[in-house]
Amino acid sequence: MAEVKVTTRTKRSAGTKRETKPSIESARIAVVGIPASGKTTYFRFLSGHFGLNLPILYVPAREDGGNLPLYGDLDNDVALEETTYETTDPTDPEESLETTTRYYVNRPMEDRKKLWVELSAGREDQGILTKYPLPTKFNQFVEMKMHFRYGAPEDKTGSRPMELNTVDEAGGIIADYFSYDRLWIDSTEGEVTEKSCRVIPHFDSWRPDRRDLWRRGLTLLGRFVQEADAIILFLSPALASLRDQAQQINLARGVFRYTRARDIPLVIAISKADKLKEFYGEVDRSVRERTFRSQFDPVDFLLRRDGAGMGTILVAQEGRGISIKEDVFLVSSAVSTGEGHPLMVGEGGQEAPAMGTPTLGVPVMVNTTLPLARACERILQKRATKGS
Amino acid sequence: MQEATAAPPELKLRERNVLLLDLSKSMLAPLPDPQGNRSERQKIEVARTAVFRILQDAAASGTPFGLVTFTETVRVPVPLGEVHRENLPYIENLLALLQPSGRSAVWDAIAVGADLLRMGVQGVRGNLVLVTDGWDNASTRFGVRTEAEPVKGGLTDLVPYVLPPNSELSLRIVGIGSGIERDRGVDAGSMNGFLDQLRARAQELGLAGAFGFQEVTTGTQLFAQMVQAFLDVGYDDDRPLEELHPEELAQHAASAARALKEPQQHATVSRLRAPRPSVPPTDVSYLESPDLEVGVLSASGGAPAYLKERYGPLGEVVEAYIGGQYPRALAILTDAKAVLPPVTRLYWEARIQFAQRAVVEAARALLQAWSEAEKLPAGSQASVLRRLALLQARMQNDKETETLVRFIDDTEHRLGGVDPAARERLMDLLGRLMELRGTYQLTRLAGEGDLQDAALRHEAAVEDVFGRLQDARLEFSSAGAVVEGALDFIEICLAEMR
Repeated sequence: MAEVKVTTRTKRSAGTKRETKPSIESARIAVVGIPASGKTTYFRFLSGHFGLNLPILYVPAREDGGNLPLYGDLDNDVALEETTYETTDPTDPEESLETTTRYYVNRPMEDRKKLWVELSAGREDQGILTKYPLPTKFNQFVEMKMHFRYGAPEDKTGSRPMELNTVDEAGGIIADYFSYDRLWIDSTEGEVTEKSCRVIPHFDSWRPDRRDLWRRGLTLLGRFVQEADAIILFLSPALASLRDQAQQINLARGVFRYTRARDIPLVIAISKADKLKEFYGEVDRSVRERTFRSQFDPVDFLLRRDGAGMGTILVAQEGRGISIKEDVFLVSSAVSTGEGHPLMVGEGGQEAPAMGTPTLGVPVMVNTTLPLARACERILQKRATKGS
Repeated sequence: MQEATAAPPELKLRERNVLLLDLSKSMLAPLPDPQGNRSERQKIEVARTAVFRILQDAAASGTPFGLVTFTETVRVPVPLGEVHRENLPYIENLLALLQPSGRSAVWDAIAVGADLLRMGVQGVRGNLVLVTDGWDNASTRFGVRTEAEPVKGGLTDLVPYVLPPNSELSLRIVGIGSGIERDRGVDAGSMNGFLDQLRARAQELGLAGAFGFQEVTTGTQLFAQMVQAFLDVGYDDDRPLEELHPEELAQHAASAARALKEPQQHATVSRLRAPRPSVPPTDVSYLESPDLEVGVLSASGGAPAYLKERYGPLGEVVEAYIGGQYPRALAILTDAKAVLPPVTRLYWEARIQFAQRAVVEAARALLQAWSEAEKLPAGSQASVLRRLALLQARMQNDKETETLVRFIDDTEHRLGGVDPAARERLMDLLGRLMELRGTYQLTRLAGEGDLQDAALRHEAAVEDVFGRLQDARLEFSSAGAVVEGALDFIEICLAEMR
């Protein structure tokens, strides 16, 4: 059986710059969202699309049949990197970090079922602890990096190498950083100060080592997004907790301010959209009826029928860095049957049974490439405008 | 060093209060009350009521307070300092034991009061309130010159002693009884002469100061002058913000935001005034309709001690109400009609009627209370309106309005003991939060074409408040649980205003 994970351990100072910014022809896109907004699933499943050709379902159906100029990075064997930064001793004056990287490669596993299990594992299966208000193991961050290409391969310029990044297991830090603009740093060398961290509710009451870790996480994130060419904001429509809802709204408003202030493209992905009843109905029918072409109107839904009430906020942002019609997408990285099981499609196209003898099937992903493609498009548009 | 000189001292200085209470024998005399149906009350009884009330306020707000009593001898039963809640029962017991006797050393008492407020080269700084029913007939150290004669030999001139250079003093004199006949009341001419000398000296030295004299001749007047009160009792299910689970806090904030967002369903909210930071009084001139002191008592564990002593007949009403004796409470309320501010009386009538399930009578009384509240001076109006709104919300089972009003009221009340700067900032934030009602409503009312403009204005207003909230967090990160809880609440409310 081919080993698909490669693990390395290195040690380096946290202050060391890891790599130079890629050339103008490549771009970095940052994915941000509150804890459990779907960032991890998005990365893992979308890398399955690039590495394993897992299909994408489009709702509403696309005229071009989903023919987007997105490709796996065939020059790079690695589709997805997950690098864990672990501070073995938070009080270490040299701030040394142990790093562990897991690679998901561009070739299928021999045991496809096993791959599926690994990709779909929930937080409990992965042994991940409750995250908020601390990162996973309170001394750990995970950087996720997906390699892909955008642009027609036959084009004379070739397709452009792109990276999709997020600081995973740090949704709380992401939410704080964007919500409170008093934390923002202005350069890749900038540092979030202890003093400015007091803008975070109850920060002073935290343990000193956790405060320090959080501040360093904010700095890491601040530098990371400082280098981003575009941001994809993940919003979850089905948050039971009012606290989480408030956190998400504050994050969204902060991201709007951030992208406006820095003039970088913003694309919004309403993740876990299968939890919206109307949308799920369209997905379900699209899976069951091969001839059905969904006419679902996302703009109408978001502005007039979405109970989460983001409508007014989106309307206010229209034309100020985003277009509701072109830059907001309903996505689902792994459609659920609603009973705790992923909805899977068998090789013949019909839904694979979730019970009984395990059968082969692929997870249903909806629209996941759209925000990525749009972000790439906007980055290139912006560069073309600047160039001209 | 720079910090010490930069901090504006005015607010804190003005909050240093010393009460000078006459305990001469004449204070045992009854004060006529021709309009009231209740039996006459002794001057000392009414005056003691005021002292209890002032003490309680000082304990709640953390304002430094001192008490000077005088007969022929001047005593300082409560030195100037912060009155701690836990010490209140001891001080109240002490006050209850004070019995009038002897004569009045008014000038000596004023001098001792000034000594308590003296701050070295900065002079005498703070507020003095003198409650007396007589003339000075016993001072041995200080005197006041008149046009006819200088200060008697061996005595020190009180005016320069009380008002040395750099002072900032207010002196308010409440004179009980008419001074036409000696020993029946205060000699208004003498008092005004003294105050004129103080004014002239303040002008000469370029000092900030305010000096006033008010003569009261009936128990009703004295009570109204000293204890203009709107007293309320908390509800059984009151819970402070900091005791709520974070998710509960979020639910409360979301509920309060709904009250702001849906005016048709929460009409009472439109009657509320946005809270504004309190402005210290610029002088002590007496008003025809002075501000009411608004207080809320916790009724958990039964009626608080000394209710009657603190609040006079209103305390008796509250005591009967807490004891579930509603008919008796109504009867006392009716008897005390002459001494209670109309809004207080009507509110309590509504509350008692509601408690005994007489809904129509309760609604009628509350309606009248709203009308009376509109006539109140701005200083106390916002707080009183909130108490009325809270009762109305309970009568209408309007949980959203109740949550909003409770939050604002509770926060304002509990902020009494925190840093004035933090209090002012939070009140400002609350006011701005409430004003978001306007921009939010525009987003609901705007047509398709105007929606974006309205949404943009609303989001800009939200951003402005959120920016101020961040600054408040940075500035008051160590201000304690009350401030933190209030900021959390406002933050979630803001997220809900969408």
